[in-house]
Amino acid sequence: MQQTNPALHSSPADVSARARRSWNATDLSLIAVFAAVVAVSAILPAIPVGQVGVPITLQTLAIMVTGIVLGPWRAGAALTLYVAVALAGLPIFSQFRGGIGVLFGPSAGYIIAFPVAAVLVGFLARLVFRRLDRHRFLGLFAACTITSLLITHPFGIIGMMINAKLDLGAAIAADVVFLPGDILKNLAAAAIGLSVIKAFPRLQSRP
Amino acid sequence: MRGHASLLGAYVERNSLLHAAPLWAKFMPVATLSVLVLMLNSPFATLVGLGLVVLGYLVGARLTLRELVQPLLRMWPLILILGAFQWFRSGPETAFTVVGNIAVCVLAALLVTLTTQSQRLLDGLVFLARPLRPLGVDPERLGLTIALMLRSIPYLVGAAEDSRDAARARGLERNPRALILPVFIGAVAYAHQTGEALAARGLADSDDDG
Amino acid sequence: MIIFKGAAVRAEHPATRQILEPLNLTLAEDRISIIGANGSGKSTLLKLINSLVLPTSGQVLVNGLDTARKGSSVRRAVGFMFTDPLSQLIMPTGREDVELSLRRRHRNAEERRSAAEKVLDRFGLVHLADQSVYDLSGGERQLLALAVVLATEPEVLLADEPTTLLDLRNEERVRRMFRGLEQQVVFTTHSLDFALQADRTLVIDGGRVVFDGKPTEAVAAYRRLSVRDVAHEEPRR
Repeated sequence: MQQTNPALHSSPADVSARARRSWNATDLSLIAVFAAVVAVSAILPAIPVGQVGVPITLQTLAIMVTGIVLGPWRAGAALTLYVAVALAGLPIFSQFRGGIGVLFGPSAGYIIAFPVAAVLVGFLARLVFRRLDRHRFLGLFAACTITSLLITHPFGIIGMMINAKLDLGAAIAADVVFLPGDILKNLAAAAIGLSVIKAFPRLQSRP
Repeated sequence: MRGHASLLGAYVERNSLLHAAPLWAKFMPVATLSVLVLMLNSPFATLVGLGLVVLGYLVGARLTLRELVQPLLRMWPLILILGAFQWFRSGPETAFTVVGNIAVCVLAALLVTLTTQSQRLLDGLVFLARPLRPLGVDPERLGLTIALMLRSIPYLVGAAEDSRDAARARGLERNPRALILPVFIGAVAYAHQTGEALAARGLADSDDDG
Repeated sequence: MIIFKGAAVRAEHPATRQILEPLNLTLAEDRISIIGANGSGKSTLLKLINSLVLPTSGQVLVNGLDTARKGSSVRRAVGFMFTDPLSQLIMPTGREDVELSLRRRHRNAEERRSAAEKVLDRFGLVHLADQSVYDLSGGERQLLALAVVLATEPEVLLADEPTTLLDLRNEERVRRMFRGLEQQVVFTTHSLDFALQADRTLVIDGGRVVFDGKPTEAVAAYRRLSVRDVAHEEPRR
């Protein structure tokens, strides 16, 4: 690649919290486009995958890839933007839901978890890229799965306990059915995230 | 690039009190009602809440009965499963309160969306972000980023359809990588291109040269 | 006035590849065209002027402003038109996009609206202003993109192959629009007819300016160059 203006693109030296405040045009547009990617993954019809053609929606996958590709701060901003715009009323949550009412539904916990999950997976993915030269795929898969287990599912369970008045056992039982699918999506997210970073190596130089 | 599908479909054009009211005058009562029914947590409060919501739909916003019932129909699996579960666990009163409260809150919030044009909702969001300025949130740039996001959705839907067609043409329609990866690669390329155009127009510069 | 002082651009990977050799130029003419093969460095040269690309060595000055140090002032003084108008138009309709351009000048929404109306009127685009940009034809989009760029009244207009995606009639429309502008205009093009519509023409090849002078002579030089390069290739069957 040619030397481009650092005010527009990231430069490797620019690795600090300061970078958060100095988001440039490309950062803003990456944040906006990935917020849109997450929106599209929620509203697009589920795609059939594998020999049996089990239909899956890709939202959790999109969130993990966003974290891997954009890093913690930009990914967190992208997911915050997505959630804010959806809560403001645009029908871009799954099943074309939108509006502040979603916060009162049983899936509220998962939705609040989105930005937090994006930050954590982004942070872990940056660690993987910095520390590992081999087995990066496994490292990214681990990053996604740690995030699922530590953030997405616990938040989801707490949300169901509060909004649907379920006790812990019932909430866990309702949540756990999503776990196998999430593990599969994490495998895909690790592979896709790795491929995107290979195609655009410059992306990972930014925190 | 594909045509632009309108996502801004929630708004229903009517000539009513709520349509004419400013956003905050709708949002505040909705928030208050939601908090109240959740806090009181009694079947009576839920019943009153439901009554107010129905009144808001039919009288306040002059919406039809169908427009009121439609969102409930979309939620029926939740209402049924959760209701049955709570009935079995704690009896009919709790079941009514839990499910009824969710219905009140969701319907009330939707009432704001149904009676407000989405551009005004987004302006409201940008307005709400103003106190966050000390944290580095620039409302102007937030508005621009929202515009960029909305503009990207139809493009990405088109790209996803294209990659589905391309995967099918190569006999890879069940291969998740062939279906999904091109969308992400395309998204990054598109974002870089947009970033360059933004910079060229001087739109993303937050302040002057320091 | 645009001045290149030994400005060069080197690739990051591999670091040895030179995209643009050190360049010393003073561009003062009203209309300057740049021609050359794909990948010759035309676009890079153009982006240097708008500080979209910074020189890896040397300097570029636009009306006395250093592009490396005064990036956002330079971008405000220099408008840039892309080949594909859709990469440039951000808002769903032309009117909103023009208003977006005017944000910095007019803080007041009412003022902005009337200023946008004036711009649209000046370019004869009022009847298209409220249509989705995706519903416009290629030519209409490019004219709209031009209006959007000129809305902020830049001192210099750069255009990167502005007519490549257009049919002949729309190319003629854009060219006529260019003729009437008071700004200094620097544009790249593959259309040799269009290149002739300038006071001065640069021919770029392999990251170097190989000819710099009168448009007619430049076009002739570019033709000779292209024929010579292709002549030694074996025709294949």
